[in-house]
This record gives sequence, C-alpha cells and structure tokens, in this order.
Amino acid sequence: MPQSKTMSSSRKGAHNKWGGMTIRIIALAGSWVMLVLWALNPAIAQSNLFDGKTITYIVATKPGGGYDTMGRLVARYLEKYLPGSQVIVKNVPGAGHLVGAKMIYAADPDGLTIGSFNTGLMYWQLTADDLSELDLTKMSWIGKAAVESRVLVVSAKSNVKSLEDFHNVDHPVKMATSGQSSASHQETELLAKAFNLNIQIITGFEGTEAELSMMRGEVDAYLGSASSLKSFVDNGNGKIILEIGGKPGSPLPQASALAKTDEAKSIISLIETQSQLARLTAGPPGIPQDRLQPLRDAYMAAFADPGLIAEAEKLGLPIVPAAGDIVAERIRADFGQKPEILALLRDLLKDE
Amino acid sequence: MLETSVSSLLGIFLSPHMMMLMTMGVSVGLFFGIMPGLGGKLGVIFLIPFVFGMDPIPGAVFLLAMHSVVHTSGAIPSILFGIPGTGPDAATIVDGYPMAQKGEAGRALGATLCASGIGGVIGALFLSLLMPFVGPIVLAFSPAEFFLLAVLGITFIAALSGDSLLKGLIVGLFGLIIATVGLDPNSGESRYTYGQLFLWDGIDPVTAVIAIFAIPEMIALAARGNLADDDDAGGFRYTMRDVWEGCLDVFRHWGLTLRTSIIGAVIGLIPGLGGDVASWLCYGHAVQSSKSPERFGKGAVEGVIAPETANNSKEGGALLPTLYFGIPGSSGMAILLGAFVMLGIQPGPRLATDQVDLVWALIWTLAIANILAVLLLLAMAPWLSRIASLRTGLLVPFIIVLSLLGCYLGAGAWQNFVLVLGLGALGWLFKKYDWPRPPFVIGIVLGPIAEDSFHKSMALWGPGFLLRPLSLVLLSIIVVTIALYIARTRRKAVPA
Repeated sequence: MPQSKTMSSSRKGAHNKWGGMTIRIIALAGSWVMLVLWALNPAIAQSNLFDGKTITYIVATKPGGGYDTMGRLVARYLEKYLPGSQVIVKNVPGAGHLVGAKMIYAADPDGLTIGSFNTGLMYWQLTADDLSELDLTKMSWIGKAAVESRVLVVSAKSNVKSLEDFHNVDHPVKMATSGQSSASHQETELLAKAFNLNIQIITGFEGTEAELSMMRGEVDAYLGSASSLKSFVDNGNGKIILEIGGKPGSPLPQASALAKTDEAKSIISLIETQSQLARLTAGPPGIPQDRLQPLRDAYMAAFADPGLIAEAEKLGLPIVPAAGDIVAERIRADFGQKPEILALLRDLLKDE
Repeated sequence: MLETSVSSLLGIFLSPHMMMLMTMGVSVGLFFGIMPGLGGKLGVIFLIPFVFGMDPIPGAVFLLAMHSVVHTSGAIPSILFGIPGTGPDAATIVDGYPMAQKGEAGRALGATLCASGIGGVIGALFLSLLMPFVGPIVLAFSPAEFFLLAVLGITFIAALSGDSLLKGLIVGLFGLIIATVGLDPNSGESRYTYGQLFLWDGIDPVTAVIAIFAIPEMIALAARGNLADDDDAGGFRYTMRDVWEGCLDVFRHWGLTLRTSIIGAVIGLIPGLGGDVASWLCYGHAVQSSKSPERFGKGAVEGVIAPETANNSKEGGALLPTLYFGIPGSSGMAILLGAFVMLGIQPGPRLATDQVDLVWALIWTLAIANILAVLLLLAMAPWLSRIASLRTGLLVPFIIVLSLLGCYLGAGAWQNFVLVLGLGALGWLFKKYDWPRPPFVIGIVLGPIAEDSFHKSMALWGPGFLLRPLSLVLLSIIVVTIALYIARTRRKAVPA
C-alpha cells in the first residue's frame, strides 16, 4: 500500500503544478471562443426561423441499419441548409416504427421535431380502429429520399421458376415473411390476392433469414426490396420473376402491367406507393407553411448537395428524392380511393 | 496461401500505422465493453464516421479490432460488481461474482482475460481452417436444428438449478414466460402487453439480466456497507500472483477451454443464434461436464472460463457467414457488414478467391487484437483492484446509474426503468431466499429461439422435422444429457 500512497501524492503534486496553468489556458481559450461566437452571431443571423434552434430528428429504429444511417445523413445536411440550426438525431425504436411515428405525431407543430419511419405504417393505418394518436394523412410531409422497388425472388433450389409455376404446381408455394403484422407479410398476402397465387406463408424470418432459408431449399420464394436482395440474386442464389414499382424501362416484368382486374390494380398501386415513398421524413400535423416550406426547401437542397450524394452512394443507399408536397399528395390519393376499394384492402389486410 | 498469410501478418506487424490503428481500435473496444449497455454494435456505429475515407484494409482492421475485444473487458464489471458489461458477459457473473466475494477477484480476472484471449485466437484459427467448408456448415442448420439446440440449452436448467431442481424449473419457466411478452412472432397477436407499446418488442434480455443480477447485488452491497467482505483484507485486494493463478487455471482446464472455444465458434458461425446463446450453452456445458457440479454458482473458475472463451471465439465464427454470404451472424456483425460495404469491401463467395489478402488481414486482426487486449488489461489489472478502496456510498449510486443507462440503451424506452425496478425486486427475492437465477436467463434467451424455430419447422415439415439426420444427432445428445443428469442425482442420492 505505501506504493500507492506515494503515487497518489506525486499525482497531487503534479496537479498543483499544472492546475493553475491549465485553468488559465482554458479560461483564455473559453473567452476567445465566446468572443468569436458573439462576433459571428449577427453574421449568421439571417431571417431564418431555425437560427439558434435545435431540431430533433426522430429515427423510429435502434441505431444502425438503413433508417438510422439515412436519418443521420439527412440530419447533418439539413443542418447545413438551415443555417444556425442544430439537428440532433434521437432513436425511438419499438413496435415496428409505431412508437417513433406516434412520438413525431404528438410533438408541437413548430417544425423543431421531425423524423423518419417505415412507409409500411400505411398498412397499419388501413386496418387501425383508432387514428387519434397517428394519422398519416394529416402529417406535415417534408420529403422522401428513395425508391425501393419490390421484387419477387424464387430460390435457385426451388422447382418454381416463373409466375406461371405458382399456378401449376400441385402444392402451395412456400413463401417466407417476417411477423404477421409486418409490411413484408402484408405485401405478400396482397400480392397473392392480386394474382391469385397459391401460396403457403411461413412467418418469422427477420433480416436475412429468408435468404438463408431459400439457400437451404426450405422456402421457394420471397418478396423483398430490390436493393436488399441484389447480392443474393447476383451471387446466383435466386431469380427475380416480378417487380413492383420498378423504374420506367426496367427490364424486369412489372406487376402493374400484369394486373388485370380493378382489385388487382388498386392492390398493386398501394404497394407501388410504398416503394415510391421510401425513407420518408415528416413532422406532426399543422406545421405552419412559413416553417414547413423552409424545411422542405432545405430537405431538397440537402439531397442536391454533391457531398450527400457521394456519401449516400458510398453507404449503398440509393437516393431518389421528392419534396413533401408530392409525398402528401400521393398518400392522400391512396387513402382517398373509392370507399369500396378501401374496404376491400382493409378486409384483405385484416383477414388473416 | 501460406505466403499470403505470412505477408499479411508482416503487413500488419511491420506497419506502425496498422499497429496504431489496431491499438486504438482495441482501446475503444475495451471501453465499449466495460461500460454496461454499450457493447460492440454501438462501438461500430460510433467509429463509422472515423473510418470514412480510409482504405478498405486499414478501415476493416480498425473496426474489427474494436469489435472483437468488447467481451474481454465486458467481463470485468461482471466479476467485480455482478453487472454484465455486455449481454453475453452475463454468464460470467454466475461464478465470477462469487469468486470476487470470496476474495478471488484477481484469480477470476486472470482467468477471464486468458480465457478471452485464447478463445479469440482459437476463433481466428477456426475462421482460417473452416474457410473452404463454410457453405455446407451454415446451410446444414435449419430451423429444426435451431429448435433442438434451444431445447438442449433449456435442459441445462437442470444443471444450473443448484440444490433444488424444482426451484430451478420454476425460475426457468418464469424466464420462458417473460420471453413470450410482446408480439407473437407468428400471429402478430400481442401477448401480455397491456396496451403498452414498449412491450411490443418483448423484454430486452440485457434489461432483464441487469435487473435480476445487478440490482439485487447492489442492494446487498449497500446493506452490507463495504465492497470487501467483513474485514478490509478480503474482497478486492489481490496481487498479480492471483491474476497469474487465474491465467494458469485456463491451462489447467485446457480440455474445457478448447471445447468451449470450438462450441462458441460454431454457434457464432450459425446466423441467428447469437452471443448470449454461445456463452450460456458453454456455461451449461462446463457444469454438465464437471466432476463436481455442485461447486458452480459458488465461485468455480470453470464457470468463468467457459463463457469467456465462447464469447470471444464466436467472433471468428460469426465473421465467416458475414464475409462469404453477406449474411451477418449477429446484429453486431450486421452493422459491421454495413461498415465493410461502405469501405468498399464486397462480401460474397468471391471474396475468398479475389481478396485473399483482406481475408488474412482480418484473421490476423482477430488474433492480434485479442492478444493485445489481454496484455493491455493485464497491465491495468493492479489498478482495477483500487476500486475496492472506494466507499460503497460512492460506488453503489454510480453503478446503479450505469446499469440503468445500460437498460435504457438496450431498449430505448423510459418505461424500462419501471421494468428494471419490478424485475430487480424479484431478483432480490430470488437472492434472499436462495433461488437460482441463471435458469431465468436461459429461459429468456432461448425461449424466443425455441418458439420461433418450432413454429417454422412445423410449418415447413410437420412433426417429421425431428427425423432429419442432424436433428436425430441433436436429439440423442439431449437424451444423453438428461440421462446423465438422472444417473448423477441417483448416484448422489444413494450414499446420502
């Protein structure tokens, strides 16, 4: 123990010797920083409602993953185009993005709380009984960042090779989805209904588990986003037989072209909206126009920034941005369909 | 192959830049490991901005060095305070904390450090040897095998129950029930959620483990008034000789060390099982294979060695599917994979042929980072014991705040604090009335895997899934395990 005593006393000595000096340097540096900030303040204080304000950007997932990465990227560049503001990212995960979305919905409509969540909450809303805590048609839409077209992939190990095979095989085609309340499940059900596919859904496949299951030859097919399935298909493990929401001129067979009935068309349109409006950013209902417009402008300016474009490319996040008014219109259009179509979709989603 | 391997090693060793990156990565990793609730996944998220613009190999080496050593330091709070630094280090509490209480903190630390280091190196070796066979091995494990592995783990409840099997079963089943809270993975029905959205995703295992283990220990500590046992000679004071003694223990139990390293690496290799399963299965294996299982839970050094080798060796295993299929073995690996892609590394089967130098650099990184972490912590070991000289009045609030922070980070909801208090009170009752707590964790960790994979297996194959070849092997292991347990309790009962 004596060893430790000498150590601590020598450390104390060192502290005395350096302490005064350090404090003086810190004080000096601190006052300089204050002075510079004070001097700069008028220079950056343009007629900007967000100057000196802190904007909270809610990401409805845990840290890590696509939503978080995109959210942090957007937040950093929003800060750049809303001079004088500070944008902080807050992760509010839970209940398949519902917790985060409700938190955004409940925030004050001053434009200082915005955020991002899964577009799949549209399916939730179609079947929800109570919209008092979240109603997507009322939100203040700021923009969307990407297009995530959906692809129907069949495993290389399966004897199902084409959309026709779905009708020809004598047993139901096994398809993997995640939980029953998930967007992946809803879309698989809807697709089966639209094209009258004979399928058996097997639930509980999270993340890349569905790909592994196809590689083991357990399930035959999977409906997922094109970007997440790209390497699976590139490595020769499966084949894309159908695309929903593909770019014009896409070489893949498009679901919209194959949909014949009104019912099928409205189903495919709903999934297409999902794919077009990926990586949304929204605020609570009722953000006044003089605040919403600067947010939308900054959002679009951010996505035109070469820095953001380069970073997104490096992160493997494809971007196809659109401003909030377009998003709002599209969402209103989908929820504003004929009541009988809405009722049909609701029945399809609920009837499981 | 050998040539590339040696040149990769020299490329790392002889480059001051690489060694500096590695040391920095390891230091950050040790910090994220030792702080309850942080862990490797958040570590990668934290470091991603720093590797932006780096070349692929240095960037990957830096991140992997960080990610591969978090469990080395994560065991330190497990042993000293009964609080896991990371989820998989929770298994180390069961014997590590009693060892510290008995005045063997130094030995426990020595054992955990050496076990982690050796586990990490064996994991790296495993990675290099299994490269050609990774495809068939990963694909051999279907939901049927997942289910049976989980059942095998659940049978370990018997071994972990201590004196009373009945108490162990009750606690274990309680863990299984807690694991069902949340949305039913199959039907989407909400179970035991009482209209609370934060319960939809279930109860976070880290939160449950902190509540059941850490909170009761802190209550006991506060009540006793001092970290060191009754007199100031006991408890934490230890010499480097104790630490060496612990290191030697790892070699004395070399068979166990080797087996748990390999089990850990295999579990790491199978996507979807995760680090908690690796360390608890290996802990269960240590109890099961011991000649004197009654010592476990009371400070048996094997109980520290087994989970610690496993949670470091699993990193090597988990890297394989991540690199070759682009399918991460764990959530931490998923984030790491994202970062690798960002650095310009394209995972896939072609990596083995096109970028051999990168693969070898990663293998060496695993090995060197693990050794480096052990050396760094051994150098710090004398100072760690100083924590004992802190007054409980200062220490307990600090640790409680840290564990609550860990719970908050685990699930990101304030309601978790309420949950921690409730489960913590229960844990305290368990401790006070001498009910075994490890079966609870087995239940909460393995319950969801068992449920989900059972459902999938039934949907895919019907009850016939039990007759798959690998299923039959696992079934027979389960039967033998149960038979051994019965035989052992009979034998014990006869002389008594």
